[in-house]
Amino acid sequence: MSLETIFWSAFLLPLLGALCAGLFSRSSLSGICAIVSSWMSLILLTYVLLPFLQSDKTVLFFSSLIVCSKLSAAFLLLTVLVVATALTQSYLFFQNEFKDGKLHQQKHICWFYSFSLLFLLAMMSVFVSENLGTLWISVEATSLLSAGLVYFSRTNHAIEATWKYLIICSVGIAFALLGTIFIFASSQYGAVEGGSLSFAILEAKSALLQPLLLKLGFIFCLVGYGTKSGVFPLHSWLPDAHSEAPAPASAMLSASLLNCALFAIFKVLKITNLSSCGISCDRACLWAGVITVLAASFFLIKQHGLKRLWAYSSIENVGLMMVAIGLGSAPIFFLQALNHSIVKVSLFCTAGNIIQICGTKELSHISGLLKISPLNAALLLLGGLAVTGTPPFGTFISEWMLLSLSVERHFAVVAVIILVSLTIAFIAIIYHIGRMLIGNVRIEKTNITSIKYSAIPLLLIIVSVALCFVIRPELLGEIK
Amino acid sequence: MIFTLLILSSAIMAVLMVGTGQVRSNIIFYSFQTLLIALTTCVFAYVENEHKHYILALVIFIVKTMGLSLFLLWLTKRIGTARDTGTFLPHPLAMHLSVLLLIFAQILSCQLPHLSKLEDFSAGGTAGISLILTGILFMLTRRLAISQVLGFLTMENGIFLFALTQASGMPLFVEMGIFLDVFVAVMISGLLIFRIKHSFEHIDVTLLTSLKD
Repeated sequence: MSLETIFWSAFLLPLLGALCAGLFSRSSLSGICAIVSSWMSLILLTYVLLPFLQSDKTVLFFSSLIVCSKLSAAFLLLTVLVVATALTQSYLFFQNEFKDGKLHQQKHICWFYSFSLLFLLAMMSVFVSENLGTLWISVEATSLLSAGLVYFSRTNHAIEATWKYLIICSVGIAFALLGTIFIFASSQYGAVEGGSLSFAILEAKSALLQPLLLKLGFIFCLVGYGTKSGVFPLHSWLPDAHSEAPAPASAMLSASLLNCALFAIFKVLKITNLSSCGISCDRACLWAGVITVLAASFFLIKQHGLKRLWAYSSIENVGLMMVAIGLGSAPIFFLQALNHSIVKVSLFCTAGNIIQICGTKELSHISGLLKISPLNAALLLLGGLAVTGTPPFGTFISEWMLLSLSVERHFAVVAVIILVSLTIAFIAIIYHIGRMLIGNVRIEKTNITSIKYSAIPLLLIIVSVALCFVIRPELLGEIK
Repeated sequence: MIFTLLILSSAIMAVLMVGTGQVRSNIIFYSFQTLLIALTTCVFAYVENEHKHYILALVIFIVKTMGLSLFLLWLTKRIGTARDTGTFLPHPLAMHLSVLLLIFAQILSCQLPHLSKLEDFSAGGTAGISLILTGILFMLTRRLAISQVLGFLTMENGIFLFALTQASGMPLFVEMGIFLDVFVAVMISGLLIFRIKHSFEHIDVTLLTSLKD
């Protein structure tokens, strides 16, 4: 079989899996179908993309609309890995919910698996889009398909969160469409006859694009995709959606969806690189990131929900990635995304277990976790340390590289603000975790989960530690 | 002249939409607005001699003018809401504000560079920006979930008109993808509005405030 066929089948598998998962009426069958198709897709993609990542080639060309650069290949693998692990965890998660009597409808779970796989497909197409238009269509499709995941529990809170998510993101994305049109129009002033939406052409002809229209286009795309990635002050949908979705869905939203929107910003920013407004666009991204990091760290202090806490921590990491994008460093952008995603899946899965054990997601009601479930308590602590960038976890390396790069580029102020924010975030998160771990056991009935429910979060924490020792800047130098 | 008239009357339909609190009339004004946009697209196709725009005009007519409008009318009937009482601005005042927005849109569009071959369609920039701003105003001044959807659709119309007249339209497959996304978005919001009505017994989105930091 040719590489192309294998690549296409990696895209076809989630689609087939989604169809089967939707048709089954038993949740266990549907779950197995979803898990198998997502892991199979990961294996196929690894087979195609790993040799490419190690080779000297810069792009893999599949069709005029589907092109895979090294950065997109890396993100593609990360996204499928995140979704596959989250789906595997969700199989155990839903089993436990059934045991607890919180779920009654098997069919709802089948729909969950089906939507997750379609959502995965939409995210995969974001990374391989070679065209601003198809990029927009894919990003909008990710919102529409993930709305089904947020809606899952069908409670009043979930419905409210889904509504806010759908409306805020759709309006935000509409601005990105306007931005896309501005960029398309900017290419019609002498750069390309009839205009073009292709990234390759736009990047090459960057200097010939009409500067005013290009700048407007970039600003609208930044606002639009920024809404989708939760950049402050456009983040209001994010904590609601993350806290109301079931834990594995929150993991997928936080660890893969946000990367998609950031990747879109990165691609649009690359178009402006060679034009006269390139530097100001870089600066806009950089400062949007810095403000997001700072704001998120303050929001972290007064949180009342466990999953809301991790949602704000995601916003903080989005800010860090925006800074990396603004500094024009694709390797650090990917490294930060990789480390954050791995840890965040682990944290959301652990949060799901803890919420099942304690029966509440309110931080003030959870205490004495060390006595109730030492394993989950340890995972929570380790995850908390990892997400705040403490050594020896992978996030430490990426945040360190980001700080040193910003100092190197003479943005010492940026480095100082980020450092202060990271410190605030560290104190806030450790304070909240500390309150949950120690104290008296206040809950009467506990639903103790066995070790198998914590296997995936544990593995991911180990991966995060391994990343700290494996990643070298030279290894990432080639990702563009 | 006929283009200018067609394009600007679609913007005026949006202004009229802001002026009434009856949900049914709002939807009918939206329907007229998209009909005028479909006609503009037809004229554009004729002038530019581009066949893909005839297809676009047909799709707009079938999907938006007929499909989405009828769906929203059916939804309003099933849910049984007749009036949107509005938020901070009374409807007549909001309508006057949207007229000001139309003037503001004219000023904005004059600042943008124009391609000479599209001189006839320069009013499109004005109408497009005005529709986007009016859509946002509509979303801000309304309470009901269904009005939010209408505001979003008006915005999307503005973006389409802007793309058509300022950039001679995006490639066909991109436009089709956008239509599909918008169509699915409206269907999903429609289903969600049913659920909101079922769970909360109203569809007033300003009262959905239980999730807070």
